[in-house]
Amino acid sequence: MVFHTDEQTIADLGIFGKHNGSGIYDLYNRTHTRGGEAILKEMFLHPLSDKAAINRRSSIIKYFSRLNMAFPLSAALFDMTEKYLKDPDERTNSTRHQSAIGEKEIQQGVMSVITLIQQTREFIETPSVKGIIDYTAEREAILLFVTDPAFEPALREKGKGKLSYTVIAAYDILFRVRERHKIAQLLRLLYELDVYLSVAKVAVERGFVFPEALEKGLCVLKLEGVYHPELKAPVPNSIFMDPRQQVIFLTGANMAGKSTFLRSVSTAVYMAHMGFPVAAASMEFSVMDGMYTTINLPDNLGIGASHFYAEVLRVKQVAAELGRGKSLFIIFDELFRGTNVKDAHEATVAISRAFAGKKTSMFIISSHIVEAGGELRQRSNIGFFYLPTRMNGHQPEYTYTLERGITDDRHGMIIIRNEGILDTLKNGNKIS
Amino acid sequence: MSFSIDAQTQEELNLLGKFRQGSIYNLFNHVRTRGGEQLLDNMFRNPLGNASAINERSSIFQFFQQADLVFPFDVREISLMREYLDAGAGKSALVTLAGTVVKKWLAGLTRDERYKKMVQGLQATIVTLDKCYSFVETIQFNAGPYAERIRAAKEILSDKRLERLRDIDIYEALSVKTLAFYDHVLKGRLFDDMERILSFIYELDVNIAVSEVARTRGFSYARAWPPEKNILAATGVFHPGIKNAIGNAISLNRDNNVLFLTGANMAGKSTWMKSVGIGLYLAHMGFPVAAAEMDFSVREGLYSSINVADNISLGYSHFYAEVVRVKQAAEAAASGKRLLLMFDELFKGTNVKDAYDGTLAITEAFSEYRGCLFIVSTHIIEVGEALKGHDNIHCVYMPTVMDGPHPRYTYKLEEGITADRQGMMIIQNEGILELIGD
Repeated sequence: MVFHTDEQTIADLGIFGKHNGSGIYDLYNRTHTRGGEAILKEMFLHPLSDKAAINRRSSIIKYFSRLNMAFPLSAALFDMTEKYLKDPDERTNSTRHQSAIGEKEIQQGVMSVITLIQQTREFIETPSVKGIIDYTAEREAILLFVTDPAFEPALREKGKGKLSYTVIAAYDILFRVRERHKIAQLLRLLYELDVYLSVAKVAVERGFVFPEALEKGLCVLKLEGVYHPELKAPVPNSIFMDPRQQVIFLTGANMAGKSTFLRSVSTAVYMAHMGFPVAAASMEFSVMDGMYTTINLPDNLGIGASHFYAEVLRVKQVAAELGRGKSLFIIFDELFRGTNVKDAHEATVAISRAFAGKKTSMFIISSHIVEAGGELRQRSNIGFFYLPTRMNGHQPEYTYTLERGITDDRHGMIIIRNEGILDTLKNGNKIS
Repeated sequence: MSFSIDAQTQEELNLLGKFRQGSIYNLFNHVRTRGGEQLLDNMFRNPLGNASAINERSSIFQFFQQADLVFPFDVREISLMREYLDAGAGKSALVTLAGTVVKKWLAGLTRDERYKKMVQGLQATIVTLDKCYSFVETIQFNAGPYAERIRAAKEILSDKRLERLRDIDIYEALSVKTLAFYDHVLKGRLFDDMERILSFIYELDVNIAVSEVARTRGFSYARAWPPEKNILAATGVFHPGIKNAIGNAISLNRDNNVLFLTGANMAGKSTWMKSVGIGLYLAHMGFPVAAAEMDFSVREGLYSSINVADNISLGYSHFYAEVVRVKQAAEAAASGKRLLLMFDELFKGTNVKDAYDGTLAITEAFSEYRGCLFIVSTHIIEVGEALKGHDNIHCVYMPTVMDGPHPRYTYKLEEGITADRQGMMIIQNEGILELIGD
């Protein structure tokens, strides 16, 4: 089952970072191998939408994080193996293709495959790895490869001294021709192991927790102490959503941290659907069919669309997904800012109400239209939260801690006043 | 007093820049000579700050437009003449003569080009001066500011030595003595006069080029009034860079110093504001403007904040940048300058409520400055309602006509505040609420 999401969401969450900044992906990426990196990227692009699969992956990583072990094989070994296997021996394909690697590299390649097989065997036989129940299937698959009778001579190899030319030639045929895809499959399993171990390492170092996936359709999200993993000194927040409160209406001033909070929550939900540890104190969530966020919607002036129209199209896209009866996690930050106050008000109320009718999905909507709150209170399943601003004299201060209710804090005007613009104009030289 | 404009405004109006697509400078840059281009560039960089100077220059352009003259000179000859004059000569007549003899001798012996250059340079000078003389002789312009320029040129050209020079037939052999004599005189005693003749030619180049643009594009000439009159009145103002642009009228004065412009996002607010800004800038240069008619009192500067809000992803920091921009404008206005200020979609980067408060407060505060003129645009129509009590604020809007579900824009200003409430209409048209269902 596919977890539905889109470019906009991935960009909003900063999964892959921008041209220079690092993204969430880089934060989790501690892989030793190129193959591991590719698999990690795959996982980021395709979160899971199946409770069993999520919990299985999550528990594997959790166990590895408890063992706190390093990846047992050296990166150099993989580099050499990959280089060696990438170049197919001319006997594997019919076209007469001159082998691009020399005798020396063949020798090194053969040696590294032998070492790889021996070390992998050693690793998966250790009792602690045997103890990971959810990893049993993979472990056995690996075991099957390394104990394959074909590789038996490799396991017997003592690894002392140089192998003779004829032995190398024999192994070369074995690895690159006869058992070529067995080796490839083994590598794939080892890459996955690399991902598990590196993510486990990140979880240990950063103190991330492993969320528990619940049955789909329950519409539950229980997040305690969630924060944004990229922040240096984050302020954690807790949020609870269930069918009695499946829409959250969030208010707060511009700098109060609304977008950051929305990003923290949606990042946690996204990571949780990958079966990865998240930046929170604890997390339970019912598995969703997908998630769509709208935090930084770009104007598309190129095609002549205004910002408001871009917003409408985005809402429409989300509405169409909801209309298919999917259970989705939806976030809208500062809905309808491209229009006048009245339209923004009406549209926010209409859209929020319609959302509140979708019982299997969850929504967080942030807005400055405080008045919309009054009308939305009639719906019992809408919760109201705000991020407060405390005024310290003329300087606003922010707690970044969620509170219940609605606020009409705004300080666009405070900034304008602090800059003294209105005073300048009031006391200026008014010639006529 | 001079007209001040900052880099941001220049950028927003796309005024300068030879290598920029669609810049106003490029629109007018049809000059033929290098010197003409420099002069044009200089005019663009230094708009005038004095009503009589502006009117004088624009009357010259008008005269040229009516006269429909053709630039009588050969560009290559002018640049040869320039080079010739710039190549220095000996201090005394004797040294120059000796130098010329040596050059001729060297040219015969080796492949020394200097002698040939010298001969061609003098020939080009002869031809150019001759053309210039017949031009000032034939031109019928006896009154007005330009008559003085022509008289001055004529006087220079009537110098006995130059008269003899002009009479030389370049297709007859030039003696070394003649060459040396003129080399000495032209680069020595008559050098300043030659410079004046060349700048006269460059000016002619600019005048002809600019008036040509005005004629082909249907521009007209603005009338400048003293600053105290405080008016900006124009009809049919359009954007000079847009084909088939639709013109609109504007009328601002002391009792009506704020124009409050509303309209939907694509309705053409920014373009029209740019048209006014460009028009006023060109008017201060004494240049023809893209309007049917225009009267303006001289301003001390132009501040704009247009289109910057398109980059919404910058979010708060962008809001702050806008605040700083408004602050600069406020300080300029408070210092007692007479300005034209244009704010397009102020505070668009922030939320609707803050934008509402900010736009309202700023507009009210600025409207007190009767010596300045303002154009403020917004899509937040509620600001207009709140401003209704001020009788010096004039409300206009760019309408949207609905063709079934599709909006169409007329780009024709109308009185009042727009009642276009496309917001909910678009949402209904897109059938979003039905899509969500229940």
